Amino acid sequence: MATNEDGDGGDEGEQGDQDDQGDQQAIPITGEELRETFPRAGARESGDISVLELPGRDAATVPNSDVLRPELAEQLEHDLYTHQAEALEALECGENVCVATSTASGKTRIYALQIARHYLDARGRAAETGGKKGKPNGGEKTGAGAGAAAAPTPTAYVCYPTKALSRDQERELNDFYDDLGLDITVRVYDGDTERGETRRQIREEADVIITNFAGVNTYLHDHDRWARFFSACDLVVIDESHTYTGVHGMHVAWIIRRLKRVLAYYDADPQFVLTSATIGNPGAHSSTLIDDQVTVIDEDGSPTGPRELVLWNPPPLPSEEDGNGAGGKDAVTDRVPATVEAPRLLSHLTYHDAQTLLFTPSRKLAELSVKRAAKHRRDRSQYYTNPDRGSAIEPYHAGHSRRNRHGTEHQLKTGVLDGVASTNALELGINVGEMDATVQLGYPGQRQSFWQQIGRAGRGAKRALSVLVAGHRTLDQYVVNNSEYLLENDVEDAVVDTENDAVFAQHLLCAAAELALDESDAGADGLADRERLERAIEMWRRAGKLTGHLETGVSYTGPPRPQRSISLYATTGEEYTVELADGVDERHDPEMEPLAEERVLRDFHEGAVRLHEGQQYEVCAVDHTTPRPSVTLRPTDVAYYTRTRTDVTVLDAVSEESREIGSFTLHFGRGRVLVYHDAYDEVAIHGGKKQAQQLPTGNPPLSMETQLCWLEVPERVESALVERYRDFSVPELDSDLADTAHLGYAGGLHAAEHATIGVAPLELMVDKRDLGGLATLSIDSHLASAAADENGDDETNTGKDPAPQNIAAAEATVRELAMGLERKPASGWFIYDGIDGGLGFSRAIYENFEAVARRARDLIENCDCGRIDGCPACVMDDQCGNDNQPLHRDAAVDVLDHLLASSGDERNVLESDLLANNGGNGDGSGDGGKHDARDGDDRRPPLFYA
Amino acid sequence: MRASRRRRPARATSLDAPVIHPPLETGGGGALPRHRIGDELEFAVAQHPRALGVGADADAGASASADTGTSADDGDSDGNSGGDGNDNGSETGPTSADVLICDQITTTTRPTALETTLDHAAELAAALPTGQETTVLTGGLPAGYDERWHLDAETGAARTVEHNPLRSAEPVADDAVAVRVRGAGPIDGYGGAKSVVALEYSADGTLSSTAYAPGDFGLESVTGVGQKTANRLESQGVTTRSELLELSVAALSDIEGIGPKSARRMHEHARVLESGEPRRLTDEPLPGEAWGRPPLCLDIETDGLSPTIIWQIGVYDPESDTHRAFVERDDPTDRASVLREFCDWLLGVHPNRALLTWNGWGFDYRHLGAFIARHCPEYVDDWESILKFDLYRWATDREETGNALLPGRTNELDIVAAELGYGGQETGLDGARTAAAYQRFMRTGESGVLEWDRHKAYCEDDCRALWHVYERLRDAPRASGVVGSVGSARATGSTGSSPDEGSSHADSTGGSTSEQTGLGDF
Repeated sequence: MATNEDGDGGDEGEQGDQDDQGDQQAIPITGEELRETFPRAGARESGDISVLELPGRDAATVPNSDVLRPELAEQLEHDLYTHQAEALEALECGENVCVATSTASGKTRIYALQIARHYLDARGRAAETGGKKGKPNGGEKTGAGAGAAAAPTPTAYVCYPTKALSRDQERELNDFYDDLGLDITVRVYDGDTERGETRRQIREEADVIITNFAGVNTYLHDHDRWARFFSACDLVVIDESHTYTGVHGMHVAWIIRRLKRVLAYYDADPQFVLTSATIGNPGAHSSTLIDDQVTVIDEDGSPTGPRELVLWNPPPLPSEEDGNGAGGKDAVTDRVPATVEAPRLLSHLTYHDAQTLLFTPSRKLAELSVKRAAKHRRDRSQYYTNPDRGSAIEPYHAGHSRRNRHGTEHQLKTGVLDGVASTNALELGINVGEMDATVQLGYPGQRQSFWQQIGRAGRGAKRALSVLVAGHRTLDQYVVNNSEYLLENDVEDAVVDTENDAVFAQHLLCAAAELALDESDAGADGLADRERLERAIEMWRRAGKLTGHLETGVSYTGPPRPQRSISLYATTGEEYTVELADGVDERHDPEMEPLAEERVLRDFHEGAVRLHEGQQYEVCAVDHTTPRPSVTLRPTDVAYYTRTRTDVTVLDAVSEESREIGSFTLHFGRGRVLVYHDAYDEVAIHGGKKQAQQLPTGNPPLSMETQLCWLEVPERVESALVERYRDFSVPELDSDLADTAHLGYAGGLHAAEHATIGVAPLELMVDKRDLGGLATLSIDSHLASAAADENGDDETNTGKDPAPQNIAAAEATVRELAMGLERKPASGWFIYDGIDGGLGFSRAIYENFEAVARRARDLIENCDCGRIDGCPACVMDDQCGNDNQPLHRDAAVDVLDHLLASSGDERNVLESDLLANNGGNGDGSGDGGKHDARDGDDRRPPLFYA
Repeated sequence: MRASRRRRPARATSLDAPVIHPPLETGGGGALPRHRIGDELEFAVAQHPRALGVGADADAGASASADTGTSADDGDSDGNSGGDGNDNGSETGPTSADVLICDQITTTTRPTALETTLDHAAELAAALPTGQETTVLTGGLPAGYDERWHLDAETGAARTVEHNPLRSAEPVADDAVAVRVRGAGPIDGYGGAKSVVALEYSADGTLSSTAYAPGDFGLESVTGVGQKTANRLESQGVTTRSELLELSVAALSDIEGIGPKSARRMHEHARVLESGEPRRLTDEPLPGEAWGRPPLCLDIETDGLSPTIIWQIGVYDPESDTHRAFVERDDPTDRASVLREFCDWLLGVHPNRALLTWNGWGFDYRHLGAFIARHCPEYVDDWESILKFDLYRWATDREETGNALLPGRTNELDIVAAELGYGGQETGLDGARTAAAYQRFMRTGESGVLEWDRHKAYCEDDCRALWHVYERLRDAPRASGVVGSVGSARATGSTGSSPDEGSSHADSTGGSTSEQTGLGDF
């Protein structure tokens, strides 16, 4: 019979609304009204806010009976959308399918129905073969032995990217099958599943098992326990497959290959269904992930309502707060930060009855935003005369316990909550019902993510409102001023690289531990071509981790469970438990999920003040010792939060490739990046003033072996620019550079480094957050060759010495190396992959450096801030460890001009420019009486960074 | 774990060998410090590969060292005095010794380049004699590492690496140096960085190794004694297990951090370790003890820890004192025959007997079940119906204590059996070795590469050792003389039960034994 309205399953709860007259459904507040009613201090610069209208789309459907057998067709209340029908038909033909359509377009429904079909097929077969079993499924299974003769019930393995999504979908799918009257058991099996009997029962009895890829990685080790499930598996579902990109995607691609190997061992050859948000390359991405042909379905038949998109650039800060001595009159130097403005908009929208979801880039900001939203009401009490109206706003992120998160989801769905401030944890398909509006605190970095997030508002045919609040960042400013970048370009490609040997080699060990490697693992249908496979096996044999030969089987001989060494999220994998200090009442227990090591080093040093679900906690102890590292918290109530400073240096870089760009030299190679979080500031919650600065955290550095590319500026360009900008100074700059002639030029390098990293995402498939940079007057002191020279023949020192324990020691090391150099060091900047092992980002930048440099140059040159030291929209970077000092836009443009000129045809103009300068001080080799670049290498200060 | 089983007759080691501690070995001027063990083996020690270059083959230095090194701790551990007189250092030439000890020799794996290199290969190539093999023993690699590197004598570049040096010694080219690198360091994931590795050479050149955690020795080997407790005990003057036993349970439980329950358990375990006598902690009968006939002791051999074949199934019948082995000697691609043969025999000849293994649920039963399901599914139901016991699990797998305390530093079968007086045959094999041997057969197809009898004897030895342990446990006194307690009634109902049921049972017997305190079970 007809299913009830909200039990339709999956994320398509709104399928029932497709007949409504969406266009006429008023939303509580329009974009224009928002602009008019939002109370602001000072002048209202309407030029900073633009409202764009995006049209909706009508539903396209296919009668259920065209696609589905009567048993299913008659049960469904609504017709299938065309893309659902198309996908189901492809599945019927035995194809693998990737469905890449919008949020809430009913993708879950596709595989849910396919599972139902398989189930009914098996039931039909069982009936034909004499009806041996009245009930082919569930409780009557008495053990593997009994199942041998009976037709096995088909099973499906369903992988979601998060545990939260798994629980959500378990409910949805079970409800769906209940409504259809099908006895299909759907169970979650992941790290939260109780060990022992519960797990055994799920493995032996469930028809559909939901898990995540970290789980698959682990469970493959004991595949014999899954024999029943794997033998009967005829469908593997990879939900939200677009999330598997970059290093994470590499690991997932290999886990899927390992899974397929084990499935084949149990004679299972399942179909794959992938569901994806809209990405640029769904077909290529899917078939790389599963190593097989995939049919792409991306003609979206689901309806969407019209949407208003508001690009909101916050107003300039009131001038009295602007203590920087801003330059020109029309220069916008400092705007209200998005971190302040976005919570105000959240507060305003909920006041006007629009249920609103705010997306924040961090857990801290999710928590802070809720406080700031409340404060906004109080600060503007004349406007918000009824302060309690629409004030039920909660934070949401993966640090909350499952119970809390589920409560928030439920309250959002039922309308108890007026708003939620969430990290991207709510970007994926958890069913929280439809929102009226979304607010984005900053541009999320990728168009794919941007669309996915705003898709949370206005499900079905309803009108929707989405506000993007621009931050200071280069990219944010670019996006709000160039809306065509958002609207006219395709969304990004999702990149998965299975050619990366480091990741391949790790998974090869796991594969060998699961099932001995043999000849079937070589070649087109195997893990790798024969040569690559043999090389990797020989590497591991020499290391004592594998034994045997492909002809007869290669076994794993290393420490138990190599799967544990796989880190899917590019973290060290070390997790810290969060504990409450002794003697504190249990009810203050924050119930926080374990924290990754990287997070602890950055945010959870002793003395840190963290906000969690509205309660402040102070970190009173951090225990780094394994096997059970922990963080101890106690509740506190202070008017500040803490912000950790980040310092970075590069050591032991080794060039593996280089190329000339005119007289510049560009290198690609590997090296060690040390990230220091050794000092922090106390920052007032309201107003953001620093109350105390440079307090020590006592945390050790995070060390990464990674890939880098770096540019060496030729000496004559350096000399010319040092001379040209020798009079530049930065008041009160605390640096070795402060009073040197190099400051202006150094500011140019620093600015150019920021800008090249800032624009990289516009040119390449990289996330700026995965990149780091370091500009320096002495590239050479960061190279391994410098260290080797310094240390003579002492081999034990190459690459293996302990990292300097704090940034001061690191600077001292670099300085010492600089002193020992024989030649004059080259200046320039590094760009590195901010992930241990490297992902190939800096490699891509190495290969496309001219294009990146050209964009960077245009960005700086065309910025109308009018300031020498630039602005957040051009060369300032909120992640800069040096407070964005020194920066010099003109010098940066000059460096980039010289680079591009030497690569292209503008040579003549700049050559003359150079020659003029060279006449002054260029060719004397360090003896000129002028205080030029060579007046003491000890005064070429070592490092600064992005 | 199966692969690390080994033979180790229980015997005291006499300290007639020198103590060599590489970090403290300073050869004075030029020569490498040298040590002899008996007349057979000479060890040269290089603290750092750099020393190899300087380290001429200075005979004077070597013999001086050897002379002063006849007693264990004379002149060697404070090596300066021994070497000072010999710093001529002028001679240079290849370093020769039976074994070179150098902890700096290790491998570096670069997954991005898909290569593993031998560190300091160039120094080794320059220092070691060409055209022949030298063994290097290094703490920088885990015990069990055994690879033969052929290095170019000029450059040290690796030419080939032999993965099974014992069997396939390729000739060494005249312009090459062969280095047989053997690990003596801690094993990853086992016992931590402080673990101790024992290596044993046997006459035919085989080397077996066992890793021990620091907690396997002394007071800390007693259940419930960690580092903290050991320190507290030490402050009470208790530094050995026998001293621990001299302290009464009551006095023990007065020490901070030790409750009466754990004090009693410490006592019990210390006594087991000191006496070599097993002790049963519960009234739970041995698995199959109540059964009319004893279980059949089973052991399987595979080609590795991720097996592609089960090529030997050994079954020892204690009732008739006979052993039966099912071995695939002809066709290593035939996975089914051995299984069928075994199943037919078992079901036909012994339809009502139970099986017994040591850690079978971790290995033997698991793989048998999986292989039967895959290669001869017609036997699945019968296989499922056979009662299977796991003595190891019965003894250890229960919350807090397990059902029995076993002597021996680890719970590996051969160690436990040896402690309990089992005198096995010296086959010189272990699980990994026998697996590697079969792999060779699989590759070459030549039946002659295997000494089949030796491998059968190895498997049989394990089956018999298992029965020996069973008997010793069966004869050990039970926790209480009281029969018919609630606990034991439950226990008979739950033979072969899950650990969860077992733990509730342990609680109830825990209660009943506490009333027995002081009755003097021993």
